[in-house]
Amino acid sequence: MKQKNLLSLFLACCLAFTLTACGGKTEEPEAGGGDAAPAEEASGETITLGMIGPLTGSLAVYGTHIEKGVKLAIDEINAAGGVALSDGACQLAVETKDDQGDPTECVNAMNALISDGIQLVVGSATSGCTSAITSVANSEGVVMITPSGTADSLTTAMDFVFRTCFRDSFQGELAAQWAKDEGYTKVGIVYCSADTYSAGLRDAFTAACGDKGLEIVAEESVATMTEVDYTNQFNKMVSAGAEMVFTPFYYDVMGPYLVPQARSVGFTGVLLGADGVDNTETTIPDGADLSVYNDVYFVNHYSTELAASDVSTNFVKNYEAAYGETPNNFDALAYDAVYVYKTAMEACGASDAASVQAALADTSAAYDTTCGSFSFDETGTPIKNGVLMGYTYTAGDEDVSKITVKALSLS
Amino acid sequence: MITFIQFLITGLRLGSVYALIALGYTMVYGIIKLINFAHGDFIMVGGYSLFFTIPIMMNVGIPGWLAVVPAIVVCACVGMLVELLAYRPVRKTGNNLTCLITAIAMSFVLENLAQAIPAIGPDPKVPYTLFAKTISVGGVAISHATIITVAVSAVIMAALYFFTQKSRIGCAMRCVSEDKEAATLMGINVNHTIIVTFGIGAGLAAVAALMYIAQYPKVFTTMGATLGIYAFVAAVLGGIGSLPGAVLGGLLIGIVQSGANTYISSSMSDTFVYLILIIVLMIRPAGILGKNVGEKV
Amino acid sequence: MKQTSIKARYLVNLAAALLLFALAVVIGMTGGSTMKLKITPSLWQCSYLIIMAASLNLVLGFLGQLSLGHCGFMAVGAYAASLFSLALQRAGFYTEKSGPAFMLVLLLSFLIAGASAALLGLLVGIPALRLKGDYLAIITLGFGMIIVNLINNLPFCGQQGLSQGSASSALYATGLGFSNDEKMQYLWVAALVVILCMTVMFMFVRSKYGRCIRAIRDNEIAAAASGINVSYYKVMTFTISAFFAGITGTLYACCNASLSTTSFAFTNGSILNSVFIVVMVVVGGMGSLTGSVIAAVVLFLLNYTIKNGAWVAALPAFLQNVFTYPMLVYSIALIVVIMFRPRGIMGSREFALCDIPKWPAWISSYFASRGLEKSAKKEAANHG
Repeated sequence: MKQKNLLSLFLACCLAFTLTACGGKTEEPEAGGGDAAPAEEASGETITLGMIGPLTGSLAVYGTHIEKGVKLAIDEINAAGGVALSDGACQLAVETKDDQGDPTECVNAMNALISDGIQLVVGSATSGCTSAITSVANSEGVVMITPSGTADSLTTAMDFVFRTCFRDSFQGELAAQWAKDEGYTKVGIVYCSADTYSAGLRDAFTAACGDKGLEIVAEESVATMTEVDYTNQFNKMVSAGAEMVFTPFYYDVMGPYLVPQARSVGFTGVLLGADGVDNTETTIPDGADLSVYNDVYFVNHYSTELAASDVSTNFVKNYEAAYGETPNNFDALAYDAVYVYKTAMEACGASDAASVQAALADTSAAYDTTCGSFSFDETGTPIKNGVLMGYTYTAGDEDVSKITVKALSLS
Repeated sequence: MITFIQFLITGLRLGSVYALIALGYTMVYGIIKLINFAHGDFIMVGGYSLFFTIPIMMNVGIPGWLAVVPAIVVCACVGMLVELLAYRPVRKTGNNLTCLITAIAMSFVLENLAQAIPAIGPDPKVPYTLFAKTISVGGVAISHATIITVAVSAVIMAALYFFTQKSRIGCAMRCVSEDKEAATLMGINVNHTIIVTFGIGAGLAAVAALMYIAQYPKVFTTMGATLGIYAFVAAVLGGIGSLPGAVLGGLLIGIVQSGANTYISSSMSDTFVYLILIIVLMIRPAGILGKNVGEKV
Repeated sequence: MKQTSIKARYLVNLAAALLLFALAVVIGMTGGSTMKLKITPSLWQCSYLIIMAASLNLVLGFLGQLSLGHCGFMAVGAYAASLFSLALQRAGFYTEKSGPAFMLVLLLSFLIAGASAALLGLLVGIPALRLKGDYLAIITLGFGMIIVNLINNLPFCGQQGLSQGSASSALYATGLGFSNDEKMQYLWVAALVVILCMTVMFMFVRSKYGRCIRAIRDNEIAAAASGINVSYYKVMTFTISAFFAGITGTLYACCNASLSTTSFAFTNGSILNSVFIVVMVVVGGMGSLTGSVIAAVVLFLLNYTIKNGAWVAALPAFLQNVFTYPMLVYSIALIVVIMFRPRGIMGSREFALCDIPKWPAWISSYFASRGLEKSAKKEAANHG
């Protein structure tokens, strides 16, 4: 019996190890490719950035994308000769920590990075995790840029916390303004009350609607961001007569669940989302009725069509070459965060937290990013304009195509 | 009125999937009195297996839904492997509680192992939509998938009923569930019976996965966790160990969820699902169709 | 066991506890950056994990009922404490995190958190404990989810708590949230809470109530026949366990500047979730409070060093890959422990400092008895 126990144990371990070992083998070439990239050896000094994000667990998809964006930016910068500081060029490196989407783990990761001597951090992915480490960053004097923490309260007066994404209230207001400009009067909201991103956008949108005189005829929520069924919610939207519904969700529920279900109960109006909706085209099931994706619009950070500089086109091209897939917003914003650091470090000529913070706090400095050129406002949130994008499908086409409708800015 | 019909249909849509999953749960629980927390993750295994095989099937020219056959094989193998490697050794030394904890641990193993495999990874995948067409009844659309799921649940329920009542191995299963020692004395190979049960239970999970992704086309590594809990609640509600109970419980949970969504508060449907469960267990501790077995001293 | 030896054991344990407390004060006074950034936060996290595991052990190990919603009570405590302290902060009762006013708020927060969780424990316990085994497990799991679901929908737990925002998952300001420096300064609070809670729990399990609940665990029907009011004791234990879980909520609120309900879910990424607390109790030993303490600390350290330690980098590449999925490692480890020691590593034995000299004898006798068992089994197999 004992032997059998041991045998089964051994088998289980073998299984686990072989499977995960497979994972290792495919990852290595990527890392190797990254190492081979530096074209010229710089002064030899390396600046290590910290990165915190959920790399495993249920939110792993956000963290892994942030990691890809950060790595791509670092490889590019290193290949182009590194960061030019006052005492010569430096190479960049990254130390990655997994917070598993949990605030406590996130604080541990932040503390560990600080005690390793890291002064510049990219992270974390969700507003909940990021809010747990902002106080650490401020009290320990370490600069952090969150690529995707959108909650308003994250960045306050010019301290050590910055971000490359929108603030919830800004995005909500853009959405409400577009709705008003298009002449809608009756709007509905479907959101997730348990998620900071979704609830934050809903709060901002509701407030902006009140200001602009749009009537919210129905408001429904779901319990989690991975909810599968939205038919009841949209049924109510239909019976309340909503012409347009605001849906602050991520692309992974928009494509397979929300849009087809909304149409199946007879909702024919416009679905307006926020930046989370970008990349919905990757989650549309094969064999589905593509015409349902007409009239789906979302506020976004960047559009390659409207881009003045070629940063975003280059980013998309390089990303596709490196990883063989289309980048999403998490990739782009994390990529931006690294470039913002680079610009700030070059502006002040140093890489310590205090100088970089001072450089970032300069509101006149402009950063050329995938979302166009922006500068920080007095709270550390970028002042950028939004773009309204959408999906369209005409019968006979093979795929849904993503279109850029117009540039948005607050009036 | 339309709202009412729509709410029923949504309830049916959710409930039919829960019912199908609950059948697998109840099978296993009936035999070894173990809440197989990993059952939800068998659905995940089935989902991924379908995600990979459906396109291959379609390319060869075989109807996509036949991908369920390899999925059943994969799931059954995983199910039997889990029983062989984890549950059986633990059952020998431990009690019900330790078995339950092993099941929870096994569920973590499967979820994290899936994430560690590079072809799967953490990104959600969207499989091919099967049975996407809808029919319209009185202004309300019902998807083919919903109807097929209800039908499949009924067929499987009936088939399992006859299997457990009439077939040789089915009789052995019922015997093992009544009394393991006595079953051994009757010349039944208990371990063999249990492993067959796991195979069937996990195979059912593959069928459930097919119907699930037909209605909710997305697979991701943690998809089994909440799905499994709902299905288990459904099985308990209907009376665990009872096949018609599982289907009834599943449909009931779906309808309660949908009703709470429509008529009370859409973000608090979970609360109502558990409240219903608690109330039912207060009134009928063995579930709606369960047999109340008195405790022997 | 002789009276004197029990007294001696208590004295040794008391001395150890005092030493621990003194150590906490000293660390708080002196201590460099590693102390501040790594050790102190770890100690805070250990403190609430220890109480969580020990309080769940009351229900799981001593009463023999599986509860899968223990973190729900912690969530109630954490939200109660942080909303209460936030309200007082907004009212201007205290402005900075020091001085007698803040100490009073801290004390009241602990009590309010414990009381609110205990009240909920009572409400949950009365109906739930009529059921047992798997059914109880699923009901407690349900309650844990209901609590999280309700908190998500509370209208005043929005982004800034109390004033702003609607229902949302995150309560950003807790009013109690300590910075790294304050965590050092108030490390003695955490140590004191752990010592007090553990003492009360020890006294509880060794009292006549403790004997009663163990009797219920071993044989409910026999216990009832001997005149023990089974449902009364069950509900009481459940309530006490919830009370301590509520207290840990305050520690959690102190330790983290923000709360979000996802941290208290049934399962999540970190090691603080209802399932993992069960794991700690099982690994440590069902029915051994010291076992829970040890398991909580060891599992925390394991988790912490896997992510932040250097030793993982020294492992072969394929093992490193396994360790990037820590949950995988823990769950396999859990299965292994259950296979070989179904009642946990410590069983129902309590750890005492003065027993250390006796360990070699115990270990050798353990192996001897295993050897005997084995030969007996072989014998039986030969005869069979």
